[in-house]
Amino acid sequence: MIANLIDGLLWNISLVVFAVGVSWKMLSIIFAKRPVDLSVARASSIPGAIKTVFTRFKPAAGMASRIQMKIVAGYMFHLGLFALMFFAAPHVRFLDNEFLGFSWTAMPHSAFIISAQFAFLGLLMLWLYRVLDPVSKLISTTGDHVASILTFVVMLTGCLALLESFSELRLLHRFSVELFLIYFPFSSLMHTFTFIPSRAFTGAWFGRRGISS
Amino acid sequence: MIKFVVSRQLRLLPGLLSVFLVLLFISLPQPGIADEHQKVEGISNKNPGADLWRNVRQRDQELLGSLKSNSQGSSQVKSVDSKMLINQQGDLWARFRMEQLIKYGMMSLGGILILILVFYLLRGRVNIDGGLSGNMVHRFNSYERVLHWVLALVFLFLAITGLTLLFGRTLLIPVMGHELFSVIASSSKEGHNLFGPIFLVSVVLMLIRFVKKNIYAKGDLTWLLKGGGMIGKSHVTGGFFNMGEKSWYWLVILIGLLISISGLILVSPNFGQGRVIMELSHVVHAAGALILIAVSFGHMYLGTVGTEGTNESMRTGYVDISWAEAHHDRWAKECHEKQLIVSAEQYAKLQGRNPINSEDSLSLEKNQ
Repeated sequence: MIANLIDGLLWNISLVVFAVGVSWKMLSIIFAKRPVDLSVARASSIPGAIKTVFTRFKPAAGMASRIQMKIVAGYMFHLGLFALMFFAAPHVRFLDNEFLGFSWTAMPHSAFIISAQFAFLGLLMLWLYRVLDPVSKLISTTGDHVASILTFVVMLTGCLALLESFSELRLLHRFSVELFLIYFPFSSLMHTFTFIPSRAFTGAWFGRRGISS
Repeated sequence: MIKFVVSRQLRLLPGLLSVFLVLLFISLPQPGIADEHQKVEGISNKNPGADLWRNVRQRDQELLGSLKSNSQGSSQVKSVDSKMLINQQGDLWARFRMEQLIKYGMMSLGGILILILVFYLLRGRVNIDGGLSGNMVHRFNSYERVLHWVLALVFLFLAITGLTLLFGRTLLIPVMGHELFSVIASSSKEGHNLFGPIFLVSVVLMLIRFVKKNIYAKGDLTWLLKGGGMIGKSHVTGGFFNMGEKSWYWLVILIGLLISISGLILVSPNFGQGRVIMELSHVVHAAGALILIAVSFGHMYLGTVGTEGTNESMRTGYVDISWAEAHHDRWAKECHEKQLIVSAEQYAKLQGRNPINSEDSLSLEKNQ
């Protein structure tokens, strides 16, 4: 009964909430009314937009030494999570069977373990920094903590079910993914999708004024 | 007429039912009779191979007894231990694990917890003489605190999953049954293996970060002889880290490295290590972890309810100057000399709180 609910109805509901929520949020951001810039453009905004999407991967020179730990932990977590999501053998199989109808080469087990370790260590460090640093603590909301904890739980349940021997563990992982998908559009997890338009918008604004960013 | 026939048949029903039950009972197998029958005519179905294996085992034991080490035979299989028919040390290891490690491990951890409880009931919380001043001094930066908590959280996770695997058969199976325990044991094993290397990385980072401040210095022995102030009434002197903290640090580093290396040997059995190395690694891993867990109970106690003002250091990075003077007087003196002390109001601002109505101001008012 619970297995059917998790594999069936709840899974479908979470997918719908995720898809509709993310689309609605993205469209509302893209089509939001903004004040018209009446100034004469010094340069085209497009190169600035494209450039900024990539240059922001590197921290600003003046900041780098002060935020070393956050940079290292951030990259560890995001790259590790990306590898786990799209190159873990069970995920490649799942995406092939449930959504795409095609697959790609999954990473070997040892690479999976190392990616998971990178992701866990990075996430732990980032969340602890959020809790322990007075400035980060002040600007963090309950939603940010929920997002971090939910991400951790999804990763943990996935790794605990790695042996693929117990359906209970797989169901636990799937259930946590469903909660994650439902929470996603209403939280700061949306930065997964918004970081590109956000950077592009800033870059376009700078580019139009001839500022290198 | 019909009514009469039916009622007559109904009267016969109990009798017919009784006959049926008697017949049923007779037709069932009678255990007492069968057992007796088996006892009389039991046959001895002896396994013809049993004697051969018994002889092989006996021969190996004799060879071991005459100090010729584990006997080596010949085999076409080219792999580790393939020439060894019976590993006698495997029995020793299994017996040690089941009869000593689990039993004494549980007793040690339970004993330490009881000792701490008794100590707390007798001594209570160790308060700072004259109370906290409200004036603070910076002790640990964000990176150091993050590092401490990463290590602590990973250690706790490893301790819980490791103890589940070690004591689960004895403690958890009787409570939750085999089926649920198998799920928990499987997930504990996966989680334990996954987080183990993160613990190693944290230990190495901890070693690099704090090694300079943890080298033993003059005065540390006095601290030890006076039991960190628990024995006698005179004040014990300490630097940035006192003797107790330094010893805990080195215990974490050395035993942490030992259990990490032995854990890596256990989790990667495909690097040519034989059974004996695996068994030894297991013993070192379990014994080291039990020691570290037992001592960590003391560390957690002293860092939370045991001593006033200690947990601030790893929460906010600041400690009260009165706390520093009580536990780390040489370092506190340095802080005074370098004028590193911040007032309660400044501290509240640094923590992003309103100095008026902040907890620090209130506690300061109380102390005054």
